[in-house]
Amino acid sequence: MNQFTFEARQKATLGGFMILGLLCMGLTAIGDDGHYTRLWSNYLHNSVFFTGIALFSLFIISAFTTAWAGWYSQFKRIFEAYSLFLIPGLVLMLVIVAGLWGGMHHLYHWADPNTLDPNSTHYDPILVGKSSFLNANWYTFGTLVFMAIWIFFAWKMRQISLDEDTNGTTDWNHHHRLRIWAAAFLPIAGFTSAAVVWQWVMSVDSHWYSTLFAWYCGASWFVSAIALGIMSLAWLKSKGYYERVSSEHLHDLGKFLFAFSIFWTYLWFSQFMLIWYGNNGEETVYFFERMNNYPVLFYGNLAINFILPFFILMRNDTKRKYGTLIFASILVLFGHWLDFFLMIKPGVLHTKHEMSGHHGAGHGDAGHHGTDHAADAGHHVADAAGHGADHAADAAHGVAETAAHHASSAFEAGFSLPGLLEVGTFLGFLAFFLYMFLHNLSKANLEPKNEPYLGESYHHHV
Amino acid sequence: MKKGANEVLFGLYDDEEILLKAVKQAKNDHLDIMDVYTPFPVHGLDPILGLSESRLHVAGFIYGAIGCLFGFLFMTWVFTRDWPIIFGGKPYFSAPAFIPITFELTVLFAAVGMVVTFYVICGMGPGTINPTLDDRITDDKFCIAFNTNDANQDAIDRLKGFFSATGASEVNTKTI
Repeated sequence: MNQFTFEARQKATLGGFMILGLLCMGLTAIGDDGHYTRLWSNYLHNSVFFTGIALFSLFIISAFTTAWAGWYSQFKRIFEAYSLFLIPGLVLMLVIVAGLWGGMHHLYHWADPNTLDPNSTHYDPILVGKSSFLNANWYTFGTLVFMAIWIFFAWKMRQISLDEDTNGTTDWNHHHRLRIWAAAFLPIAGFTSAAVVWQWVMSVDSHWYSTLFAWYCGASWFVSAIALGIMSLAWLKSKGYYERVSSEHLHDLGKFLFAFSIFWTYLWFSQFMLIWYGNNGEETVYFFERMNNYPVLFYGNLAINFILPFFILMRNDTKRKYGTLIFASILVLFGHWLDFFLMIKPGVLHTKHEMSGHHGAGHGDAGHHGTDHAADAGHHVADAAGHGADHAADAAHGVAETAAHHASSAFEAGFSLPGLLEVGTFLGFLAFFLYMFLHNLSKANLEPKNEPYLGESYHHHV
Repeated sequence: MKKGANEVLFGLYDDEEILLKAVKQAKNDHLDIMDVYTPFPVHGLDPILGLSESRLHVAGFIYGAIGCLFGFLFMTWVFTRDWPIIFGGKPYFSAPAFIPITFELTVLFAAVGMVVTFYVICGMGPGTINPTLDDRITDDKFCIAFNTNDANQDAIDRLKGFFSATGASEVNTKTI
């Protein structure tokens, strides 16, 4: 069977989950505040997560093609079909852009014009300094133009791959062209994904910045794409497709899941440790808030995305068995969804509090407070000789006070922890993603034809 | 096996495909293969020979765990008991600062431990001389070796028949 048939029953199941997702979004809206912050942040969270998976599927194809990888060529159509989700992804993100222009949501503090107005109580000199990049024009440009470039590459590489099926020749002309497009996409993906990550995700904490953030987000998407790929492949195999994909291929995908979970941890820890060591108030605020107000998610994130896959997938045989490999894939996919939850929600909650005036008056000074406390912290160090630990605690306390300006530690449904509505929304988006995936998968041969590495892929042996 | 006391009859093959077929044939004929030598790892050879999976990686995990604990506990002892120093206003016990070195020591212990274990198991090391049956088995020849210490002439003839039937390009004997 080289042709996937998207059965009516599967469509109905996925459609049911999409309705569940819409229902959950509707229920979220009913109990929401005036700006629908919970609904909008759930929408942003899931749109970014699944659009990123589509982008990194295209990145995976490009990287594998550039690296002359042969083992995956049997099932490259899976990642091709994932990458075509960039088109619905663009529509999803354009809703956020429209909301930005229409002032319908308050996901981004920098989008509030009062922050740029010197006469306003919300005047924020830090955001004024960043306003040449963090503004609606750049956000729109980045989303529209960069995503259009990704879609163009996804479409182009899909066209070449499909054309190879019918018109492929033994001088491998199609493959040579594909290699050029793939190699060209890699640097483009590197720079553009970083730029949109700054806008889509990092700017919800509009005062904060980290140069490692884009890589860290990218690693998260990469691992999620691999985890989803493993599960899709296992499901398709259980339906009788991809008979020649063996445990050898799953083993290699398992290695990618294992290795890139570690890579993600490496980036996560590098970002954390540099900020922790530097102890600079305007940087530590990001982690301080998450460690103190979101401890379950903060430490759970490391457990589910590093410790569990690390020990589960360490052995040779666990990467070759469906049970352990799929268990690890589910953990990691959900874990990285939680990771994005933790990137987005605290910043949005902070903006929500700003907007609803909880800390309104105090905010103009927040930057100065940060600086003061950082100076205090330095001072403590200077005279700390001898009683280091106590004073270090004081210094940390200084940062705690800064953090207290930024968020309340009270439990907030849908922000402090993902609730049932968040999980329902996630399932709805997942069903949408899978629906588009299976739809695109059914439009072409499951295995490419006339692909030069096909023989290598059939005989792949680790 | 004592060195210098083994009569070995071996055949050289030109290609790994021929070698794989020959090894299969030897298994079917219930011939007792002493060892197979190849210039590079041949896919699918281990299961045919019935070799079990190497346990070297288990040793690697244990060495790594020892290195991890050693690194972390040693730094904890140094910075809280032996020679406490304040760095950047941090507490004496600062786990994040210990992690990079803990990681390095985990890798170091695992890597060095596995290399040493491998050398010990294989009886290799400085000063050891490992006789090779034929220099070309490190280059372009694939070799199946039989131990013929206790073999009578019938058995040796049978092995020679096996080599010529399976397409060996050369058959030699050597005492190692």
